[in-house]
Amino acid sequence: MEYLIQQLLNALSFGAEYALLALGLALVFSVMGLVNFAHGELIAVGGYTMYVMVALHIESLWWILTIPVITTVATAVLLERVAFRPIRGAPATTGLLTAFGVGIILQNVFLLTVSARPKAVPVLGPLTGTWNVGPFTISSLQVLETLATGIAIVLLVLFLQRTSIGLAMRAAAYDFATVRLMGIRANRVIATAFAISGVLAATAAVFVIARRGAVSPYLGFDPVLKAFVACVLGGFGSLPGAVVGGFALGAIEVMILVILPQSLGGLRDAAVFGLVGALLLWRPQGLMGKTVELGDKAA
Amino acid sequence: MKDRLFAQQSAQDWLQTSGSRLAAGNRSLQGALMLSALIVVLGLLVLAFGEPFQVRLAFAAFVNVIVVIGLQIFMGNANIANLGHAGFMGIGAYAIAILATPVAMKRIMIPDAPFGLAEIEFGIASAALIAVAVTAVAAVITGVLVARLNGIAATILTLALLVIIHSLFFHWDDLFRGNQAFFGIPRVASLELAIVAAAGAIVIGRLFKDSRLGVQLRASAQNELAARAMGVNVWRLRLISWVLGSTLCGIGGILFALYMGTINPRSFYFHAVFMTLAMLIMGGMRTVTGAVVGVLVLTVGMEVIRNIEGGPLILGLQFPEMLGLSGLALGVIIVTFMILRPDGIMGDAELDDVVRLRFNAGRWFKPRSLTDDSDAQPETNV
Repeated sequence: MEYLIQQLLNALSFGAEYALLALGLALVFSVMGLVNFAHGELIAVGGYTMYVMVALHIESLWWILTIPVITTVATAVLLERVAFRPIRGAPATTGLLTAFGVGIILQNVFLLTVSARPKAVPVLGPLTGTWNVGPFTISSLQVLETLATGIAIVLLVLFLQRTSIGLAMRAAAYDFATVRLMGIRANRVIATAFAISGVLAATAAVFVIARRGAVSPYLGFDPVLKAFVACVLGGFGSLPGAVVGGFALGAIEVMILVILPQSLGGLRDAAVFGLVGALLLWRPQGLMGKTVELGDKAA
Repeated sequence: MKDRLFAQQSAQDWLQTSGSRLAAGNRSLQGALMLSALIVVLGLLVLAFGEPFQVRLAFAAFVNVIVVIGLQIFMGNANIANLGHAGFMGIGAYAIAILATPVAMKRIMIPDAPFGLAEIEFGIASAALIAVAVTAVAAVITGVLVARLNGIAATILTLALLVIIHSLFFHWDDLFRGNQAFFGIPRVASLELAIVAAAGAIVIGRLFKDSRLGVQLRASAQNELAARAMGVNVWRLRLISWVLGSTLCGIGGILFALYMGTINPRSFYFHAVFMTLAMLIMGGMRTVTGAVVGVLVLTVGMEVIRNIEGGPLILGLQFPEMLGLSGLALGVIIVTFMILRPDGIMGDAELDDVVRLRFNAGRWFKPRSLTDDSDAQPETNV
């Protein structure tokens, strides 16, 4: 039983991280049809901001949690302005490749300016620890991550439902041309989407860095690859789909880890991607709207 | 559509009478030979005057010509971004490594290889043939699946293939040695061989592009619905181009292994994918000439940047080492081209188109870019 609960928590926290990132990808994709592979580098931007702050001896947890949000949002908006605005309306492939290029640029900027080696960021210690709840010992990071994701989703839903720019973003996902005819500025809608994806990336960065304790140039690549897979699982561009896909992927990964014998543990990625490929062949449009057994894991 | 006219010129000729069809066929062969000749001359120059490091560089460039044309055959004609091609390079390279490496060597490296593979050894020629066949079979198996999907979904499937293939290389220690390098492969490939193979790849790529299959596939990439309505079997065409392209990538991998003598899984992962992709995009993915031009320009460009990266001594000044500069340049090239010239250097023009227009019209032909693609390309958003 304890083992089961532990694995469930694992799945939830994995899923929460993927869902956070997948939301950022899905948000941008829904308004401008861009698969933003540079999203992972936003996490790294958050991480390096923390690294710089530690180097400057700013170690108050309050600042450590807020300043990276500002830098990631600024970077996201800057990238939109410089790289992604010129290719707006281009085929999805052009956007995908541009995003890859942007990702490579950011990675190498980190490499050039900081170091190719991981750099320790030992300030998030207070977040990691273990709590004893009844008979269970649980990792505080896992709980916090799941909670943070839940809060982020609630805030995002409120934003999308209650503000006019949120409404415009939801409408843009259906028909951008009509949204513009209603007098909404396209630039503002898209920049907002990027800014929110920056906030989500910064939130994810806190947990990624807390778990690893270090930041490296290629930090964001693996998480975003998984987030990408989560988006595909849920149905690309659908926000509920991103959340469902994220948690589903978390569950799948933990399941595969549990099921696969130790000797084949290295094949986890192969198994996950194999499964994703199979799902795509079965439903190229993603899962969302169909499967209930996955839906109940959504926050 | 007017902008597309040039691209379709050879296609239109093709579809006219059988007489001009023959002429069009001749023309694409002539164009291919013209481009091949250029490549061969470049290769011979390096052979005659190049220093050893330049020969090595040229060999890598010629292997990349083969791989990038392999990439172009699927990506350029079907208009689906492919990220899995480096995996097929890997399949070719590991297949030849396992088949051609001397038994004595394999007993040390992979004593527990399944199917008794550690105990068999083929001659280079037969090993290469089998390795090509292995790649082709892998391409057919995966192609059947990839060809079913469109746009982003297809691209993700190719990405999944890349990760799966890499995972297998990395974690199937008994057969591929995993993290460790596979060494002792007979180093029999030479620049001459690579030149011949690259010239062959150019002819194959160009003839496929201008063949009936290629024209149909390009039509389906512009408007799948219309192509289907005309009776084009899109699935079959995608499969054929996938297998042809992936097999070429495999051949590139085989040459790579036979030249280096040592391979490891990292050579066939994202770095190789992005590098070759950048070459194709930069040159222009819709033409074979674009593939070749991209390889040449980026090979030379990256070599220059790598020199700067290593901290060169220029006019007595020691410049600092700047690790990451080459990667940075690669990213900047991809982004700049996507923004300013998404059709690449060549756009829709092959080398012979450029030459013919130059001489016919007495002016320099400027490859046209597709400024308004909205009517020609169906939205691929899911």
